[in-house]
Amino acid sequence: MVVKISLRSIWFAQAWSNQRTDSIAQNKKAQMKIQQMVFMLLAATLFFALVGMLLLALKFSGLKESATELEEKNALLLVTKIANSPEFSCGSAFGNLKTNCVDADKVMMLKKNIDKYDNFWGKETNIEIIKIYPEGNVVCTIGNYPNCNLINLQSKKINIEHSNFISLCRKNLINGEVHDKCELAKIIVSYKDWRENDD
Amino acid sequence: MKKGEKKLKIFPTIRPRLGSRTRGYLQISFTWLFSIIAGAIILFLVIFMTSKLISTEQMTLNAKTGTEIGILLNPIEMGFESAKSTTMTLPVETRIIAKCEEDNQFGKQIINLSQKNLGEWTVTNIEAKFTNKYIFSKNLEGETFYIFVKPFELGFKVADLIYMTSSKKEYCFENAPENIKKEIEFLNQKNLVTENCQEDSIEICFSGSCEIKVNYNSKYVIKEGNRMYFSDDVLMYAAIFSDSEVYECQVKRLMQRTANLALLYKNKANFVSNRGCNSNLNLLGLKNAAEDLRNSAELKSVNSIAEDINDLNKFAECRLW
Repeated sequence: MVVKISLRSIWFAQAWSNQRTDSIAQNKKAQMKIQQMVFMLLAATLFFALVGMLLLALKFSGLKESATELEEKNALLLVTKIANSPEFSCGSAFGNLKTNCVDADKVMMLKKNIDKYDNFWGKETNIEIIKIYPEGNVVCTIGNYPNCNLINLQSKKINIEHSNFISLCRKNLINGEVHDKCELAKIIVSYKDWRENDD
Repeated sequence: MKKGEKKLKIFPTIRPRLGSRTRGYLQISFTWLFSIIAGAIILFLVIFMTSKLISTEQMTLNAKTGTEIGILLNPIEMGFESAKSTTMTLPVETRIIAKCEEDNQFGKQIINLSQKNLGEWTVTNIEAKFTNKYIFSKNLEGETFYIFVKPFELGFKVADLIYMTSSKKEYCFENAPENIKKEIEFLNQKNLVTENCQEDSIEICFSGSCEIKVNYNSKYVIKEGNRMYFSDDVLMYAAIFSDSEVYECQVKRLMQRTANLALLYKNKANFVSNRGCNSNLNLLGLKNAAEDLRNSAELKSVNSIAEDINDLNKFAECRLW
């Protein structure tokens, strides 16, 4: 009887042990599959995240390109007409009405109060007027005017530019008499290249 | 283990005990269930992000077009012409809302754009802002727009005013004074007419009663029950083509620019006086009057100072403008 029981119990123990081994093996297999799936999901998420980031980077580089294109268009169109805007134009101050004529005296006063005109002609836009002759790089100040060559309205240096020829006129005192003096000059509108830096 | 039981993966230790009672259960493994849920989440995220990207792209396009419109208005600004008209055609049906914003310096011209995409209007909150533009219009819609420009002067030139209208709307100037008639005929703008008006055109009458009533002698325009005062023809057109809110705001912006220009000429007068170039103009008076203007009804006083100064400048030893 005892032997019978022990044989049965051995048989049961073996059967239970086999079942348990099967179950452990199956659990391990399932865990392995879950791990595989987790890695796969991580890889898929990473892939989509990277693709998304790439798309966003492309999109934003496109935005910077568009912003620069718009700035360029603004500078190009502005330079053709800015000499006739009220803050620059000669009007009838030097005889008859003149097109593409810039009043140098007025521009010097504009330079003095340029803070008020920040971003008035476009964002990150600078305007310079350079005399063609005599050549030189003497920046005009109230102290050295009119013995200078360059009127730089804003001191910020922006590298891309478009220019147009103008006549630069001023009131000049010669032998106690006031005369109108006009010289050939170039008006330069420079703008920011948004692709270069993110300052 | 039976042949069919090999596929059973969920709860393998429990399921065999259920035996024949489990015939109808769904044979779906944990791996499949997990990948379906994860896949659905990923797909949802991708679709959501794509739709967001498309709407952002559309908003960017609207903002870009708005800025481009403002930039393209640069070359049409005036030289010495008294008026100029041009046409602007956009590739799709567009709504242009030109708004005005006041601030302490020059104020802002705002252009807000909405374009039709697959039969629906895209809403954009992004606005293109310009400090040196003055657009007079009222909620435009269409593909072709007419732009008409006139210089505004208060003694000296202050700015170029831009009047924008849609080709879909015709403006009929009834009983207009001869000079206005001549100017409109000279402009040759298709939607501005003085005779043979269409039935649905917007009437502008200089006598009698209609949609937009102009009292040319007392210098005011009545539109939608609001009275807008003007000092010259340039501002009269501005009042006709815009609404009272935009008009009053733009008049204030114009006065801010007038005040800054008056100060610029004042500084110039002091600067050139060292070279024996004297001018004695009440530019500070003009600056203060322009700065103190509260509404278009006060334009008359600013205009009278400007006229006096202009007369003096014309005969001055050294003209300032």
